[in-house]
Parts: sequence; C-alpha cells; structure tokens
Amino acid sequence: MIEDGTRRQAFFESDAVDQLVTMVLELAAEQWVLRERVYTIEKAADSLGLNLSAAVENHRFSDQEKTELAGMRKAMIDNLMRSVNREHRRPRQGAL
Amino acid sequence: MPLELNHQLKIPVDRDAAARQDFVSQLRGYILNDMAVAMRKAYEHNVAPEFERKHGRAPATQDEVHDAMRSNTQFKFYSSVRYNAQEMVWRSVIPCVERALPGIEAAIERVSGSSGGTLQLDPSMAIPQNVADLPVHLMPGGYAPSASPAAGAVYDNGLAVFSAGFMGKNLDDIGLSMSNYVKFRHPDFKPERILDCGATVGHNAAAWAATFPEAEVHAIDVSASAVTYGHGRAESLGLRVHFKQMNATSLDYPDHSFDVVFTSMFLHELAVRDIEKFMAEAHRVLRPGGMLINMELPPNQELQPYDQFYLDWDSYYNMEPYYRTYRDQDPLALLSQAGFSTDDYFQFVVPQYSYMNESDFVAAIDAPQRIDGDTGRLSASLQWFGFGAWKR
Repeated sequence: MIEDGTRRQAFFESDAVDQLVTMVLELAAEQWVLRERVYTIEKAADSLGLNLSAAVENHRFSDQEKTELAGMRKAMIDNLMRSVNREHRRPRQGAL
Repeated sequence: MPLELNHQLKIPVDRDAAARQDFVSQLRGYILNDMAVAMRKAYEHNVAPEFERKHGRAPATQDEVHDAMRSNTQFKFYSSVRYNAQEMVWRSVIPCVERALPGIEAAIERVSGSSGGTLQLDPSMAIPQNVADLPVHLMPGGYAPSASPAAGAVYDNGLAVFSAGFMGKNLDDIGLSMSNYVKFRHPDFKPERILDCGATVGHNAAAWAATFPEAEVHAIDVSASAVTYGHGRAESLGLRVHFKQMNATSLDYPDHSFDVVFTSMFLHELAVRDIEKFMAEAHRVLRPGGMLINMELPPNQELQPYDQFYLDWDSYYNMEPYYRTYRDQDPLALLSQAGFSTDDYFQFVVPQYSYMNESDFVAAIDAPQRIDGDTGRLSASLQWFGFGAWKR
C-alpha cells in the first residue's frame, strides 16, 4: 500500500466523531460491496438456471431457522451496542 | 458512477473493487449535490440570519462566511464526509494499481512510439517543494514520488472515480471544451504548435491533439511518473503528443515557438510568484498572434461570498495550499504583468463539449455567458471557466 503519513483534518469538537464518521463510511462501503456481491450471486445463479432470487424470496423459515436467526440478530445487536449503557472511566491524570 | 477509462493502460478491476469505486463515486455525487444544497440552505436559513442579528449586516467576505459556518453541523458533516470520500477515492484504486503495475509498465513499453509521440525525462530536474513534499488532493505519496508510472496511474484511475462521470468520456472534457472553443470561436486561427503546461497524465493534451490533428502538441509536467504514464496513455489512444518532464516556470523552449500555451486546473497549484514566472514564460514562448488560454476555477472577484467560500473548501481541506491565493488574484492583472496587453484579454465560460451536440456547443459559445455558483463545480449544470490573452 502506498504510504499515507498525512495528519488528518478534523471537523468536529472531538476527534472521536471524525474517526466515527470514517468508520461509518468505510462500513457503508464494505456493506455495499457485500450487497452488490449477493445481488450478483443471485443474478449469476439465475442465469445458470438455478432461479436463486425467486428461491430466496419464496423461502419460508422453519421454526428452527427462525430461532437460529433470532440468536444471530441478538449477538449482532449485543456486539453493536456493547459500549452503550456501560460505565466509562477516564484515564487518571498522570497515569500512563 | 466512475468513468470506465477507454485506453490501453486501463487496469483490471475485480468485482468488489468496482463495487467500492461505484460506491465512492456515487457518495461524492451525493456530497457535491444533495449535501451541498443542504449546507447552502443551512447557511441561508440559519447561519446568515444569525450573523445579521449579531452584526447588523450580511457576511461580506468568504472569511466571514467560513467563520460563521465552522460551528454549523451541516458544514461539519459535509466537510467530514467529503474529506473521507476524497481519501476513499484513492484507497479504492491504489490496490488495483499496485496489482496492475507490471502490466502498466509493459503496456507503456509496448505502445511507446506507435502514434508518433515522444517522452523525454529530466532526472536532474529539481522537483518543486510543493509537489515533492505535499500529498496534493490528499493523494497518498503525492504526484512525483518516483519515475514509476504508479502515481500517474493512481491519478488517472482516481480521477475517474472522483469525477463521477462529469469530466468526459476519457477525462478529456476540459481539453475538448477548451480546444473546441478555440476552434469554433476563432475559425481562422490554425495553431501549428500547442503546449500544455502542468499536463499531468496528458488527458487534456490528448484532447487538443484530437481537435487539431495537424498540430504538434507538447505536454510538460514536473512529475516523471505523470509524463511517463501520460506518454503511454496518449500513444495507446492513437494521439501524437510529445511529453517532457519540465517545470512550467522555466520552459526549455525557444522564444516564439508556440501558437497556443494551455493550462488546465494548473494555476491554482502554484504560488503567486510561480504563476507570474509561468505567465512570463508563456508570453516568451508564444509567437505573435498566439494565445495563452487557461482553464481554471472562476476568480473570487466574480463570485458572491458564499460561492467563494464553497469553492475554496479545497484550499483548506484538500491539501491545495495555493488554491485560494490563486483565486484571489485578478486574472487580467496577472496577464498584463506578464506582458500581455489588457486589450487582448479574454474570458469565457463554456458548457461541456462531451455531453452535447456540436451545433448546440457552437450556439452556446456564441451566446451571452454568465459565471455562477456552478461554474467549475462538479454538478449536473457544470460549465468551465477559461481566460487568457492573445500575444501581439
């Protein structure tokens, strides 16, 4: 990777907000790349005669699948919200 | 959507990289249109009235607008997202260029000489400090890190993502619009030798060569990387351009040796003292009856304070240290200092040649022209600003 040693510009009162904007935009880009790939997989499968997009739309989750998905969603939300409602301590003055 | 480059140095882009480039390009379109409109509304509805309440008058300068906007949330988000998108432009192409570099080098070697153009490097030339030390446009590594064509390739491919399809079918719309302005506005003027200064990868020099196929077109830049890549690019397009690594403030050409000296988005990369040196050099190398023609952002004196502030965003946040000092100059004064007569000065705006019928373009350049907030701004109603002077 070509090195980029430039000091970055900040716009918000806290650098943390600028850093979060970067994270959100990079996640959005990554999410788009994945979404486009899923779309492409469906279309490519359709063109091979697998009719995957219709199969995806028509699929009905079994109770077991619903339970599995609920667990996966819960884990994702837990991860996403892991810093919320937690007490945060600040470094003491003079602490390393 | 990013432009798909149409020349033989085009690099392979895998599906995920292409999706990422599409995303970044469209994000930039959103920033420069939707977010820009929202920010202007925030200024007009909230920031300017608040300023007027406090000061009893409207903001009179771009500095007052800028100061008033700094604490505005719309400005912060516009700026933060635009800054990130600029970084993402380069990040979306650099891995592709690094993978493709051996192929790019082989392609340059393969096409070199096939269209009659030449390449001349000057390894002893000192790279100006502002180019050597600064990642201009936030491009990692800058424009002249080495003679490898990598930086040129990053710029060409990055510009394709950056411009979101607003800069022509091969990033050549500025060159096409300016050269065709000259061709149709001055049908008796038949330039035999044309010089593009600060040409980077020659995307606009190639357009001049296409518009005036009989002319000898030269393109110079301080970056060995840019001219090496540009040479391969032009050759692969079948366009004869002579690339040289050269500093526009000290031209290695004899007096009276060109009919046209052209620049595009170049002057704002220079300190005022270097602009003055370049213009004196342009005057020197032009033949009597020749023209200096510059495509640039419109001067601040032509714009309202908010539009000045909007366009000068790059000066503060896009590693363009001379952008504003250039735009604060009076173009007429710069040219007259260089020896051009004020009677021979011209300025104009043109619509984009690439996206209209030629007859509509010709009608547009003959119609009264107006500089406004969309002049030079990448948007759906984009028009280019040009100015220059004839040499007596």
